[in-house]
Amino acid sequence: MAMSGGVDSSVAAALLVEQGHEVVGVTMKTFCYSETPDHSKTCCGLDGISDAKRVATALGIPHYVFDVEDAFDRDVIDDFVTQYAQGKTPNPCVRCNGYIKFRDLLSRGRSLGCDLIASGHYVQIEHTHSQSKILRGHDAQKDQSYFLWALPHAMLKSLLFPVGNLTKEQVREHAQAQGLVNANKPESQEICFVPTGDYRDLLRERLGELHPALQAGYLVRRSGEIVGEHNGYAGFTIGQRKGLGGGSPEPMFVLSIIPDTKEVVVGTRTELFDDIVIISGLNWLGEPIEDGTETLVQLRYRAPSVLALVSHEKNQIVLRLKEAQAAVTPGQSAVLFDQENRCLIGGGTIVSAHSSD
Amino acid sequence: MKAVYLDHAATTPIRNEVREAMEPYLSESFGNPSSLHRWGREASAALEDARATVAEALGAHSREIYFTRGGTESDNLAVLGCCEFMKTHEKRLTLVVSAIEHSAVLDPAKLVTERQGIDLVTLPVSQDGVLDQELIRLALESGPTVVSLMWVNNETGLVFPVPEISSLVNELGGTIHTDAVQAVGKIPVNVRESSIHLLTASGHKIYGPKSTGILFVRSGVNLVPLVHGGGQEQALRAGTEDVAGAVGFACSLQLAVEEQQQLCKRLTALRSVLERRLLETIPGLRINVQNANRVSHISSIAIDDIDGEDLLAALDLEGIAASGGSACESGSTQTSHVITALYGEETSTATVRFSLGCETTEQEIEQTIIKLTSIVTRLRKLGAAS
Repeated sequence: MAMSGGVDSSVAAALLVEQGHEVVGVTMKTFCYSETPDHSKTCCGLDGISDAKRVATALGIPHYVFDVEDAFDRDVIDDFVTQYAQGKTPNPCVRCNGYIKFRDLLSRGRSLGCDLIASGHYVQIEHTHSQSKILRGHDAQKDQSYFLWALPHAMLKSLLFPVGNLTKEQVREHAQAQGLVNANKPESQEICFVPTGDYRDLLRERLGELHPALQAGYLVRRSGEIVGEHNGYAGFTIGQRKGLGGGSPEPMFVLSIIPDTKEVVVGTRTELFDDIVIISGLNWLGEPIEDGTETLVQLRYRAPSVLALVSHEKNQIVLRLKEAQAAVTPGQSAVLFDQENRCLIGGGTIVSAHSSD
Repeated sequence: MKAVYLDHAATTPIRNEVREAMEPYLSESFGNPSSLHRWGREASAALEDARATVAEALGAHSREIYFTRGGTESDNLAVLGCCEFMKTHEKRLTLVVSAIEHSAVLDPAKLVTERQGIDLVTLPVSQDGVLDQELIRLALESGPTVVSLMWVNNETGLVFPVPEISSLVNELGGTIHTDAVQAVGKIPVNVRESSIHLLTASGHKIYGPKSTGILFVRSGVNLVPLVHGGGQEQALRAGTEDVAGAVGFACSLQLAVEEQQQLCKRLTALRSVLERRLLETIPGLRINVQNANRVSHISSIAIDDIDGEDLLAALDLEGIAASGGSACESGSTQTSHVITALYGEETSTATVRFSLGCETTEQEIEQTIIKLTSIVTRLRKLGAAS
């Protein structure tokens, strides 16, 4: 059982114990907070580890901390920095789940003689004799299936998500009823490895102050007209309104980022809509979708799914959206669901988006 | 099957004699030793009795024993206090430590040398556990020098020839501190018979209470205090004394010294069974610093082709408590600076430390051998499969 010290994974562990499983709690130490001045983050840091330990002890289960700092640094933090340097908006939780957390858990679990691995994600899993499917969490507000598309397919049969059929409120109630120490702990919202809350601090540290991504550049319209200046394109994401200055009659939004020229392209809300999305690094968790089939795609965490026509073109997947969507952002995930918008069937990383008009 | 505790170098339970000695000072005799009334006098008498007991056990004078809140504080006080005092009188100062000191010495050493502009010399240790004493001589001959060397290494059990080195240091006019946390009760530790200036001892490694310890400061050696306030402990360690802790520490030290020879004889026999059998049954296994002078209760074992974190967790699931390198705050194991200093980076080798104690039995050793062998076999099989 992966235990972050947060309430979801704590309740998940408690449920497994109640169900009669023999449970071993594990916390992945992804990032060393002792090297930063702020120790107060609620997940992954020392507080999380000590809370996980307290909960495990209260539940009467063993608990171990495994150090994945090196792999996390390489596969998650480095990638995060590189993506911003390339003018994209990365999704580190997807990478962490897909490349680090679950793979390490599975191999650790095997070493400890465990048959299944569990986490506190709000998703459901359906095991039949022939296959296993990840379904959206019962609590639509909390559903985290968006973050799990990069899991290796072969791993699904070994997974359990004990809180996936509960609402957050039910989880909190359960934690209170059990008297878990973290029953009222606030949600962790920030990126766990950005303790200051401002990812640009991390970029400055890793890329150096002089990196082009952090240097001033122009705000331009699609026409090339210069309309202002910015202080580093890495500070922007598609759809962003903040930091573009005022002065235009219509609200302006970031449309795209051009690292080569350090330009941030801005435009009106109508210019923000795209209906063609190119994705790469596709990973299937169900039957691969054939060309010309319609499916549902979610383009951002918490965004509603939209209908798209799938086709393979030159080693990439092209999604033709039935209705154009605002702020389709390179670096974010495009996650595919079945027709009922319930079963996670795969996903990929958005490479680019444009409008067919 | 009964759980087996083989982590006595991490900590030990409080023994009954110690608990009984402490009890009055946790309840009816609760006074503050600085108070002038009856309660104060009682507490003060107990504290000074404890100090006399400690002094007697270590061959020191009572006024040379300072109670602290444990080994780490004593190490900090010795290193920081001594260097800071010397630096006010000397323009140039060198601090010599070994590469395998406890972080309670290494961290303050780094801090004080950076802050005060002191030269830090870190002595390498060979794979056989040998320290290059010529480097110590060179440092001493170059000017005023403070040396801090642990008597017994906590991770490997390696014994440094501290009495011999302290003679050298004295001869050349230097000052020497030794962290004897893992030495007391395991080898003879006597400051009268050696020329050590400063010595750290801790209670909880010898069946005494946690957060108790002493620093022996030879008469004539001056230190700058770390904790300032009410002038307790001859103004070297301010703060109302932990009388029960001091009494408990003294009792545990006295018993540890009295029983040392007998205990070591028994533990040496148990450990040699453990090591011999493991060497016979598990291929790719090494006893760290096997042929060096080692204390009897620690066995540091390197096992090829498995992961250390997996190994320790698997042992715990089988009810066997051991440890890896030094445990960090979170409980995750880091690559040990001690093992790295001795053997270099070993990425696919797990290090496990078994440390035996008074209550360790032959059956427990037997159980450990069987469990460890089966875990290593299983983990290697899994490792080869993936």
